[in-house]
Amino acid sequence: MSYIFNRLLSIALTLFLITIITFAVTTILPGDVATMIMGTQSNPEALAGLRKALGLNDPLVLQYGRWIGGMVTGNWGQSLIFKVPVADLLIQKIKASSLIVVMSMGIALICAVPLGVWAAVHRDRWQDGASSSAALVGVSLPDFFWGIMMILLFARTLGWFPSSGFADPSVSLEQALAHAFLPSLALGLGLMAHLTRMTRSTMTGILGQEFIRVGRAKGLKERTIVWRYALANAIGPVITVAGLQVGYLFGSIIVIETLFNYTGMGWLTYQALLNRDIPLIQATVFVIAAVVMLANLAVDLLYMVFDPRIQLA
Amino acid sequence: MRRFLTAKGLLGAALVIAMVLTAIVAPLVIPADYGTRMTMTARLRPPSELHWLGTDQLGRDLFYRVMLGARTSLGIAGAAVLMSLVVGLPIGMAAGFYRGGVDNALMRLVDTLLSFPVLLLALTISAMLGPSIPNAIIAIGIAFTPFLARIVRGEALRVTQMPYVEAARAAGATDLNLILRHVAPNVMPPIIVQATISLAFAVLAEASLSFLGLGTQPPQSSWGLMIQASRDYLDVAPWTGLVPGAAVAITVLGLNMSGDILRDVFDPRTR
Repeated sequence: MSYIFNRLLSIALTLFLITIITFAVTTILPGDVATMIMGTQSNPEALAGLRKALGLNDPLVLQYGRWIGGMVTGNWGQSLIFKVPVADLLIQKIKASSLIVVMSMGIALICAVPLGVWAAVHRDRWQDGASSSAALVGVSLPDFFWGIMMILLFARTLGWFPSSGFADPSVSLEQALAHAFLPSLALGLGLMAHLTRMTRSTMTGILGQEFIRVGRAKGLKERTIVWRYALANAIGPVITVAGLQVGYLFGSIIVIETLFNYTGMGWLTYQALLNRDIPLIQATVFVIAAVVMLANLAVDLLYMVFDPRIQLA
Repeated sequence: MRRFLTAKGLLGAALVIAMVLTAIVAPLVIPADYGTRMTMTARLRPPSELHWLGTDQLGRDLFYRVMLGARTSLGIAGAAVLMSLVVGLPIGMAAGFYRGGVDNALMRLVDTLLSFPVLLLALTISAMLGPSIPNAIIAIGIAFTPFLARIVRGEALRVTQMPYVEAARAAGATDLNLILRHVAPNVMPPIIVQATISLAFAVLAEASLSFLGLGTQPPQSSWGLMIQASRDYLDVAPWTGLVPGAAVAITVLGLNMSGDILRDVFDPRTR
């Protein structure tokens, strides 16, 4: 019980710090909302008037308090470029992005675990070399480069998938999946390379342990040893690393969604940054950081499901 | 040292050295206007004897541009990692050495910063400061600092509890003396590994920033910017994207290979 209480307290504190950092980065740095709304060529008096009306001359603590107050009461402000409430925009875009986040994570795990196990089982032989080299190349290329290559191959040359755009799953699930596939693949490849490396190194460690030798001595089939006993021990760390990569994914979706013109959270963040839509930047940055933090928490809890030896301390 | 002399270690080191030399030497031997000179009659030419790697949509020679881009891309990445070391080392060292309240406060801040995806943090800082090379360095440098601080802290925590540090303390060494002479030199190996890997990620981050228009600005040549410019011409001139893409890949691959080998050399647990 006290573990859960401490954990909740720590989440609240971290969320509070996230709001401070978000606010600091977007407020202390040059560029303000008034200039954004009126443009740099506007009348200085009108600009000063707007600054006053928006409360931009107030002390920072007061401005922060106002922002937090709005966040807590559900008033997240109005987007300067889209002219709609930020909260509505976010809900809509999070739904769009969750599809590619889940798909890319799925693609990465489905490919990485067997590849990593295969490399570990054939340690120091050509299979290991081939899979490790492929993974190393995978982590060395920027995601957007994969994305461009995929557009060129699967959309322009083969015409199998649309090269850009977003389709609403509630209108046509098939269209939605087709539009989400290439961005997910581009995101998933880099992730897959990381996870393959992780699975290989964890499995290599586990296959060298005592209980594996006992299993072999007992005459268990190699397949049973690898897939049932060794993998059961390796999956915890792999899931942990996969969960920690949620942060990496949320960074990468900014580039990938922009490249594929997939109008989700990443695309929205980019539009906000490009147009210095400060209320929108504050909301998107806060939401992404909060999601990443909660994903890390979920990983900790999941770890306990996969590894019953770990107790709540 | 022996452990570094593997095929992977040698290849990784060779790639890194080649790229660093290119970054240093290219601007000295290639006249600056070679990278920006436009020849409208020679647009989107495939690789040939005249243009070894072809030309781009403005008739600029890709070989010169990719060579000159090495300095921008590696320079930004190197300066950003250096900045994260300068900021992250003292933070991590203070947390690991003094422990207790200092550690709690600093690590709470570092952990919170780790909730922000590196690219998101770098893009936000760069967008707020205004896109330029110095701002890209600051943005990437700040985004990478928490990772380094975390690793330095862990190592400092371990080393501070070693008997030789205890002995030096008993002999009357001051905190500063302990940190500089006994703790710092012994935490360096894992930090060199992390810095190498960070450098690889920083090259990718710079490319992403420039690709999105929030890093290096034209007419400067940077690999991310070149890939961005190639997008509309890939059907007819795929080399315009493949050349800078390969430059990024070779550099990051070399850094990752060196990082892997350095880790094997320095970290006995993974042997």
